[in-house]
Amino acid sequence: MFGPLGFSLAPQIRASRTLSKWFLPFSKWYTDRMGYRKFGLKYDDLLVEEREDVQRALGRLTQEQSYDRAFRMKRSIQSNVLRKELPKEEWLPESQDVRYLKPHVLEVAKEDTERAYWDNLSVQRQK
Amino acid sequence: MFALKSSTRSAHRLARSFATVVDSAGYKVASFDANQPTSSVTFLVKGGSRFETKPGVAHALKNFAFKSSAGRSAIGSIREAELYGGVLSASLTREHLALTAEFLRGDEDFFVKLLTEFVQSPKFAPWEWAEYVTPVVEADTAAAAADPATTALELAHTLAFRNGLGASLFAPAHNDITSTDIAAFASSAFSDVAVLGTGIDQTTLSELVKKYSKKAPASSTVSSPASTYFGGETRVAAHGPDTVFIGFGATGSSSHNLAALSAYLSPEPHVKWSEGVSALASQIPEGTSVKPVYLPYSDAALVGFLIQGNDIKTAGSAVVAALKKAASGVSAEEFTRASAKARFAAASSIESREGFVNVLGSKVLATSEPSASAFLKPFDAVTSSSVSQAAASILKSKPTFIAIGDLATIPYADEIGL
Repeated sequence: MFGPLGFSLAPQIRASRTLSKWFLPFSKWYTDRMGYRKFGLKYDDLLVEEREDVQRALGRLTQEQSYDRAFRMKRSIQSNVLRKELPKEEWLPESQDVRYLKPHVLEVAKEDTERAYWDNLSVQRQK
Repeated sequence: MFALKSSTRSAHRLARSFATVVDSAGYKVASFDANQPTSSVTFLVKGGSRFETKPGVAHALKNFAFKSSAGRSAIGSIREAELYGGVLSASLTREHLALTAEFLRGDEDFFVKLLTEFVQSPKFAPWEWAEYVTPVVEADTAAAAADPATTALELAHTLAFRNGLGASLFAPAHNDITSTDIAAFASSAFSDVAVLGTGIDQTTLSELVKKYSKKAPASSTVSSPASTYFGGETRVAAHGPDTVFIGFGATGSSSHNLAALSAYLSPEPHVKWSEGVSALASQIPEGTSVKPVYLPYSDAALVGFLIQGNDIKTAGSAVVAALKKAASGVSAEEFTRASAKARFAAASSIESREGFVNVLGSKVLATSEPSASAFLKPFDAVTSSSVSQAAASILKSKPTFIAIGDLATIPYADEIGL
C-alpha cells in the first residue's frame, strides 16, 4: 500500500545522522523531480483518497484546510487541462509542503486498530 | 441476639457515615454505604444549562461525557466499562451536570480512575464533536421538540426566568457550537467537583480520588445571574395532545410552602387505577390529565400544572379555581394530608441514587453537611396558613401560561380565570 500507512524506511534513515546526510540531498532532488509542486500541490494532496479511513481523515480537516485543498486541486486540474505548469511564482515553496493530512490518517488508523482490538479481545477470568 | 446487635451496629455506622464531606485534593467527597450489592460514583459539577456561555453548550458537554481523554479513548472507556459490567451515564439539570458510573462492588478503582481522567484531561477533539456528539445532540433536541410536555416545560422556564434558569436544557436545532466552546465551558465547570458515592466507603473513595487526581482543578468558575421571575403567555401550534402549562414562579431558596401547596392541589391518586382524593380530582373531566409540577432550584422555584387532553378549558378552570380557593384558606385536615404527602415525596426522593445526587449533591458542592434530617426539617415550619399565604402570593404575580397543540380550541389564560 502507498501513502502514510505503507512500509517506509524513513524513520530509520531519519534516526541515523550519517544516513540522513546521504539521503537528504537525494530525497530533496527526488521530491522536486516529482513535479507536483510545479502544479501548486502539496504531497498530502496526492494521497489516495478513495479509502474509508482517508475519507474520515479528510472530514477532520479544519474548514480553512479543506478550502485550500479544494483550491489547490482545482488549480492543478486547470493547469493539467492547459498542459502547462503554473507560472514559477505560483509553484509551492518547499517550506509550505507540510503533511497536513497524514496525522489525521494515522489517528484514524489508530482508532480502527483499537476498535479491532476491542472487537477481538478474548477475556480471561482473573485468577 | 447477635443479629440484633449486628443490625443496630450497622444502623449506627450508617447514621454516622451518611455523607460527611471531606476535601480530597480539591474534590469534595461525600459517600454513604447502605450495603447495597452495587456501588455508584457520581462526579457532580455546576455545569447545568443556567451556567452555559453559549446556548446549548451544557447539553453538548453532557453528550461529550466519556469521550476520549488523555488516558483513554472513547471506545476504550466504553468497552472496558462493559467488561466490568458497569454503566456510565451523564445527566443534565438546569443547575448541575452529573457524570455517573454504576458498577459492582470491588471495581471502584477502575471507575474512579475513568471518571477522574475524563474530568481532568478531556480532549474535546473537534472530530469527536462532529462525528459522534453532534448527531446525539440533534436527536435529543428533536425528541424533546416532539414531546409537547417537555416543550411546554422548556418554554415555561424561558418565559418565567428569561436568562439563567430560563436557558433550555436542549441545544438549539441549528447551533454554532464548536469543540473549543465546549472545552472552555468544561474547564470552568470542572473547577468545582463534588464526588458522591453510594455503596462505597468514604475513606476508600477519597483515597482513590486523591490517588488519581494528578492536578488541582482550574481556578475559573462558572456564574449565573440571580433568578428573577417574569412570567408571560405563549401559544405554539403543534401536533400531538393539546397541552397547557399553568405555572407561577417564586424566587428565594426556601420553597417548602410551595412543595406543600403542590401536594395539596395534586389530583394524582395515592392508589393505582383510582381517582385522587383532592377536591380538584373530582372536577377534572374524563380523558384529561392534570399533573402537578414542582421544580425547586437553588434560588427559585417553578410550581404549576401540566394539563393534557381534550377538555383543557374545564380542567384549566378547575385548577385555577382550586388555586384561588387554596389562597383563601386550607382546612386543617386537608393540610395534614398534603403536608404528609409532600414530606414523603421529599424523603423518598433522597433515598434513591439519583435523588441523593440531585437533592443533596448541591449541599456537598457548597461544602455543607448533606443530612436527610436537615433537608426535611423545614417541613416542620409549614402550616396551613403559610401554605395559603404562599398560594395568595404566587397568584399576585403574573402567571406563566403555555399552550401547545390545536390553538383554535385551547383557551387563553384569561378565559380560564387567570
